[in-house]
Amino acid sequence: MRILATIACLTGLVVGGFFAAASTSASAAENIKIGLIEPLSGPIAAVGTDALQAFETAAEQVNAAGGVLGGQMLEIVPLDNAMSAEKTTQQLKKAVDLGLKYVIQGIGSNHALNIIQFVNKHNKRNPDKALMFLNHSAVTTAFTNELCSFWHFRFDANVDQKVAGLVTQMSRDSSIKKVYMINQNYAYGKSFQSAARAIMKERTPGIELVGDELIVPFGKVQDFTPFIAKIKASGADTVLTGNWGPDLVRLIKFSAGANLPVQFYTIYGGLTSSVAGYGADAHKVALKQVNEYHENHDGLSADSVAFGDTYMAKYKDTWYSDRQRWLILMLAEAIDKAGSDDPIAVGKALEGLTLDGPLGEVEMRASDHQIQLQLMVSSLTRDYSRPIMYKGNDFKIAFATDGVISRQDTTLPTTCDMKRP
Amino acid sequence: MEVFVFSLFNGVLYGMLLFLLASGLTLIFSMMGVLNFAHASFFMLGAYFAYQISQPLGFWPALIAAPILVGVLGAAVERYALRPVHRFGHVAELLFTFGLAFVIEEVVQMIWGKVPVPYDVPPSLNVTAFAWQGLDYSVYRLFMLLISVGIFVALFFGLTRTRIGLIIRASLTHPHMVASLGHDVPKVFMWTFGVGCALAGVAGVIGGNVLGTEPGMAIQLGPIVFVVIVVGGLGSLGGALIASLLIGVLNNMAISYDFSLYPIFSLLGVEREAEGILADLVSLTTGAIAPLVPYLLLVLMLILRPRGLFGTRDV
Repeated sequence: MRILATIACLTGLVVGGFFAAASTSASAAENIKIGLIEPLSGPIAAVGTDALQAFETAAEQVNAAGGVLGGQMLEIVPLDNAMSAEKTTQQLKKAVDLGLKYVIQGIGSNHALNIIQFVNKHNKRNPDKALMFLNHSAVTTAFTNELCSFWHFRFDANVDQKVAGLVTQMSRDSSIKKVYMINQNYAYGKSFQSAARAIMKERTPGIELVGDELIVPFGKVQDFTPFIAKIKASGADTVLTGNWGPDLVRLIKFSAGANLPVQFYTIYGGLTSSVAGYGADAHKVALKQVNEYHENHDGLSADSVAFGDTYMAKYKDTWYSDRQRWLILMLAEAIDKAGSDDPIAVGKALEGLTLDGPLGEVEMRASDHQIQLQLMVSSLTRDYSRPIMYKGNDFKIAFATDGVISRQDTTLPTTCDMKRP
Repeated sequence: MEVFVFSLFNGVLYGMLLFLLASGLTLIFSMMGVLNFAHASFFMLGAYFAYQISQPLGFWPALIAAPILVGVLGAAVERYALRPVHRFGHVAELLFTFGLAFVIEEVVQMIWGKVPVPYDVPPSLNVTAFAWQGLDYSVYRLFMLLISVGIFVALFFGLTRTRIGLIIRASLTHPHMVASLGHDVPKVFMWTFGVGCALAGVAGVIGGNVLGTEPGMAIQLGPIVFVVIVVGGLGSLGGALIASLLIGVLNNMAISYDFSLYPIFSLLGVEREAEGILADLVSLTTGAIAPLVPYLLLVLMLILRPRGLFGTRDV
């Protein structure tokens, strides 16, 4: 008797749980939920939480303007992957269980690759429950070349485009004669290296490459003095580097300490965590970054400036990049254009979609799902109108524009042969 | 020749910072037999404390106060956590300090956040002392060297030539005899641990502003400190000094000379025109693997001479 009662009880629990789950998925039909898979705990949680803030602010903007499909709201669902591969897979499965149709990710190309492979397989097996991947910052060029997929859309410039931006700006400076490259020895650093070699050959034939170094990545190098000595001995006037994190911060700190008379062309020199690390010596180094946005640029679109102001008022953080904003805006527009939130229809609506970006029109190229955009190269300076702020701290330094890189100069051919559903 | 002397000099500058960091660890190990996995975390705390104190008061008060704070914290850890664990043997102590490293990292992130803090070299010392091979060396780099040498001399004479050193060394080998003579052996251990941590704190104060003060700094430097004390010989102060200098100089030479490693791989039958993974081996140079040189040294040392250069007991 007691056993029967237990079974009845358990059945009750299971059935009850089932109904509870069913009722949550019923309310999900009202909001369009978008999963955000990023490190929200662990050593790089700061980067993940910044991304979450950005997407929540962008979604709020869409919702304040009436949402999509005549009143449905966008909702960001944070899914913490703690920067580990297996947790990314777990969270993807969770996204499927929650009935999500969209996931956003961008921190770490290895995780992005994991997601691309997952959605390719999942969507083939479950065409009625397709999942779309919106990539905001994972830059490995292959994702829109040989690995391209209908289910993946990249809203950030890829490594090759960013390198093209840096090299184009270098070609405008006739004082640059000798360039030294230093990169991290892993997939990203190597792709920076090969892109730079190829694009320099084409756009800056007069500049000599006097050094091409790969270092052990992720903070393993403590003392950069021997590298600084080699750069100095090579006679280089410019260092071109894809380094980020401590590998960039220490390179800059040791260069400043030794008064190395070179300028640095970087991709990630403007990341808040980097700028925080340079310290008081930062202004001594001519540091440049390539990006689609910085708030001291004259001639940004009014929309992007207004968004930056909202973000600053809300979090006391400088709006560092604009791609998170345009990702959400373009997704919302595509959903409206498709007239439904079905990923296949939305995907087709996203292809070729354009939006007014901070520097002009940006376009989601249909052939490879790679955003086509303007970039700009800017220098770290103490002469600014608005300083870089992070969590209310004033870094007393900011970026000033050196030059804008047109869409024509950042548009590169693709090898993508896309299979559409 | 010029490059050789130049690399030697740069290697010594870096090596002495490593020594400063390793000296506290080797002191704790030689006097107490405790392998402190959280040592680099005390180094990190030294840097963060120095940053916090130098904000209102400047560098010099921080140079004095931060190591003292770290030392007191270290002594408290020994008194209230390590001592009760000590009963369960060295493995328990090791596991405890291993866990402590994670706790300290989390606490640092909670208090100071996850991005680096702007802890800078004091402006008064951030002036060029001399230039060599076109690179400027600040007074601060020489100041770091001076502090490291000073600490080595003080430790060496303190342990071998003073009464305190005598008691500390005797406490390790003959604790009961020392206790019978009226000395408080647990207290001696507590302060030894405290001083060892304070030394890590000093390294944090003078190294944090050069290497960057961020929550990952302990994890990045932790392993290399162990290499120093194992290669030098567990518990040998002189050995730690030699090993630090050796690692600093080897690291600099490997990058400066940047020899191709192809001759070694060609002996193993790798073709110069190889493709795939083997192609990476062909183009591999010593500069590209410089940060791994210390670990290579560690492996070789454990195979050939497990007690290290100057060690008196096996690892």
